[in-house]
Amino acid sequence: MKNPLKKFFDDTKPLFTGDGKYKKYEPIWDATKTFFFLPSVKTLVMPFVRDHLDLKRYMSIVILALLPVTFFGIYNTGYQAGIGAGESWSVTRCFLIGAWYVLPIIMVSYVVGFAWEFLFAVVRRHNISEGFLVTGLLFPLTLPPTIPLWQVALGISFGVVIGKEVFGGTGRNILNPALTGRAFLFFSYPVSMSGDVWVAGKHLMDGVTGATALSVTGAGGQSITAALYDAGYSLGRLFTGFVPGSVGETSALCCLIGAAILMVTRIANYRIIIGGIAGFVITTIIVYLIPGGQDSWSNAGPFYHLCAGGFLFGISFMATDPVSAPGTNPGRWIFGAAIGFLTVIIRVGNPAFMEGVMLAILFMNVFAPLLDHLVLKYKSSKRIPNV
Amino acid sequence: MKILKIPRGFDLNVAEQPDLSCTHLALPSSLGCCAGDIPHIRPKLLVKEGQRVNTGEALFTDKRDTTIQYVSPATGQVKTVIYGPRRRLMEVVIATESEDEYVEYDPVDLNGIVGMPRDELVACLKKGGLWQGLLRFPALDCAEPDHSPAMIIVAMDGNDLFSPRPDIILKDNIAAFEAGMAILRRFSNRLSVVCRESSLEGIWEIGRSVAEQITHTAPDIYPAWHPGAVLYQIKQQAAENNSWCIRLDHLVMMGRFLLSGRYPVEKIVTITGPGERQPHMRVRQGMPLSALVGKIPGNSLVTTGRFNGRILEKDAHIGLFENTVNIIEAGPGEEMFGFARPGLDKPTLSSTFLSSLFRRPAKMDCTLHGEERACINCSYCERICPNDLMPAFIMKALHADDLEDALALGLMDCCRCGLCSFVCPSKIELTQILSDAMDAYYKDKE
Repeated sequence: MKNPLKKFFDDTKPLFTGDGKYKKYEPIWDATKTFFFLPSVKTLVMPFVRDHLDLKRYMSIVILALLPVTFFGIYNTGYQAGIGAGESWSVTRCFLIGAWYVLPIIMVSYVVGFAWEFLFAVVRRHNISEGFLVTGLLFPLTLPPTIPLWQVALGISFGVVIGKEVFGGTGRNILNPALTGRAFLFFSYPVSMSGDVWVAGKHLMDGVTGATALSVTGAGGQSITAALYDAGYSLGRLFTGFVPGSVGETSALCCLIGAAILMVTRIANYRIIIGGIAGFVITTIIVYLIPGGQDSWSNAGPFYHLCAGGFLFGISFMATDPVSAPGTNPGRWIFGAAIGFLTVIIRVGNPAFMEGVMLAILFMNVFAPLLDHLVLKYKSSKRIPNV
Repeated sequence: MKILKIPRGFDLNVAEQPDLSCTHLALPSSLGCCAGDIPHIRPKLLVKEGQRVNTGEALFTDKRDTTIQYVSPATGQVKTVIYGPRRRLMEVVIATESEDEYVEYDPVDLNGIVGMPRDELVACLKKGGLWQGLLRFPALDCAEPDHSPAMIIVAMDGNDLFSPRPDIILKDNIAAFEAGMAILRRFSNRLSVVCRESSLEGIWEIGRSVAEQITHTAPDIYPAWHPGAVLYQIKQQAAENNSWCIRLDHLVMMGRFLLSGRYPVEKIVTITGPGERQPHMRVRQGMPLSALVGKIPGNSLVTTGRFNGRILEKDAHIGLFENTVNIIEAGPGEEMFGFARPGLDKPTLSSTFLSSLFRRPAKMDCTLHGEERACINCSYCERICPNDLMPAFIMKALHADDLEDALALGLMDCCRCGLCSFVCPSKIELTQILSDAMDAYYKDKE
């Protein structure tokens, strides 16, 4: 028997292609159809055999790598809400409450973002690229669970339109669209993006703060690690992620699992991730060795720095976006290391922006073409000329 | 003997290897002389339909150099002349007669080749329709006889994974091989003879004297044995960019032609495809496809090299530069949720399908497996390129009309192996873009 869905697409094909009535909307029809049915057009030019990897598979692997942090983020949102309410909730309840807060954010992000993608595809008459599948999930994971949904819609709109489509769409953007959207919200609505906004739930109990670990400082000569421990941010908790923070960023463990999936499948370039972590760790050690600042993050050492905040999330999922990262291998090492370096410098040197990784990645995105240019110039000079 | 280390390339396990036996196919009712596979040629027809020609008689020539001739593989009447788009000559088809009448030349022995004036040798090869077997880098056009190349690369293996094995081509042709090598020594004193690791043993068995002349072995990773990839590995200075290359079967043909004074009409062809392993076939030059393969499964593609050949239509004839026929099936069609399947049966050079965990025989089909998208800078093309190019950056430079940049990035080092297009997840026709740009630049410079 013929697949009814297949029949539907076969029946509607004349309407959307050629001189059909709705041929303007062909990109939308095509995107829907190819989501369900992998296109298999015959090759016309050499080589006549092709690899099975296509962009749909490519982006699906990134989504797969994001699933651990997404599920943990949903659970943790409920868990933190439970702590905030002063009660101890079951795992199921944590999940359900978390999903109640997080899923609407993800849905708004996808719906609004895809609306823009469809609009640009129809006006520009090109097919819809799969890149947004990832952007639409990455963006909500960088937001606090308390964010108003209209801000989510505004943020993803800015990210997609200004971050990507004005440059010509996926593949031509300079900045990472998800981070562009987040930066827009961060600077436009600081009240929703900083301070005690990281725990969902209307009323927090006394003594429970909704701040992230990065905003902790040691008071009155107390060392930073002791202050973190007192505030409930032990290294173990920071590593596993049962702490307040953006939906996806809290668990270093889940980020590392995602990074491992991306590196094993070679979807993300390991040079960016390894280079980033190396640059980050070296900078934290240097900062640690500089005397003074016992009570501030400069004295926290590499482990606390790695596990707190969103660095691991950023370097694994944001910095490895191939479009906005350099396209040459030496460039990737430098790019990653510079992100690690800048993140620590921003964290330590500028307490106004506790989370440095967003700015560090966006800053290095801008420099990625320059890094490529220098590497290409060097590589060209090493070739035996052939003109 | 040097061992070339070319780690990058296509190393999947494809299970279509032809059998090592060799069968002889009978003379078909028609043979063709094909112009479709000859690079850069501007063909000029020399015969009319209905005219009777002898074996070895010129059928068409190249307008750019009319001394180069393409000769008839059979004796008989010119049945049809087939033109392609823009009236480009594609094929001259001859209705064969059972007895061959050859155009005869004076045979030359080994000493004769060494002693013959170079001009005379070139004229003789050109008349015999064999000079064009010698190709000049980087565009792989016919070699210019008055130019002395820094090096001549002799490629023992062909363009496809399963091109005919050199030991089968060399069988009974050792003397012709020696004669061919003697011809090459007249043009350059540096000959690089390259064979695949897997071919080496067979060559030792067939003739010590041949095996001792091999200078390089290449790993069995496609396209390590291609002349273009080999040249890139061994070249040390810019002067070697214009080296020449020749394939073993053409070299043997040259030798046979001079030794016997007759156009050598035989060639070895392999046929690969799903199903049973086919033997090597000893056939005539210009065999029609229909005589080589029986029934072609519907919806499949027939090519003369899965990575860098051309598509053969049902009534096509095999060209001088072609000695492999691949039958590639169309595959399972539009799979539901194809992008989310585990993919045990989906061969890939990436690590995104489960098939990459096993070395199972890869089932290749002739579909794109996706749609064209913008380049996402993933560097898969750079990772696979045997010649250290960055095809994506070259493609972008070409799109920006920045030819200088493209050349600086090594455009002319491209060996057109087709692997960048093969791996591209955005399904961009990188090989075609690079190859067209190379040809355009070459034509412009000429």
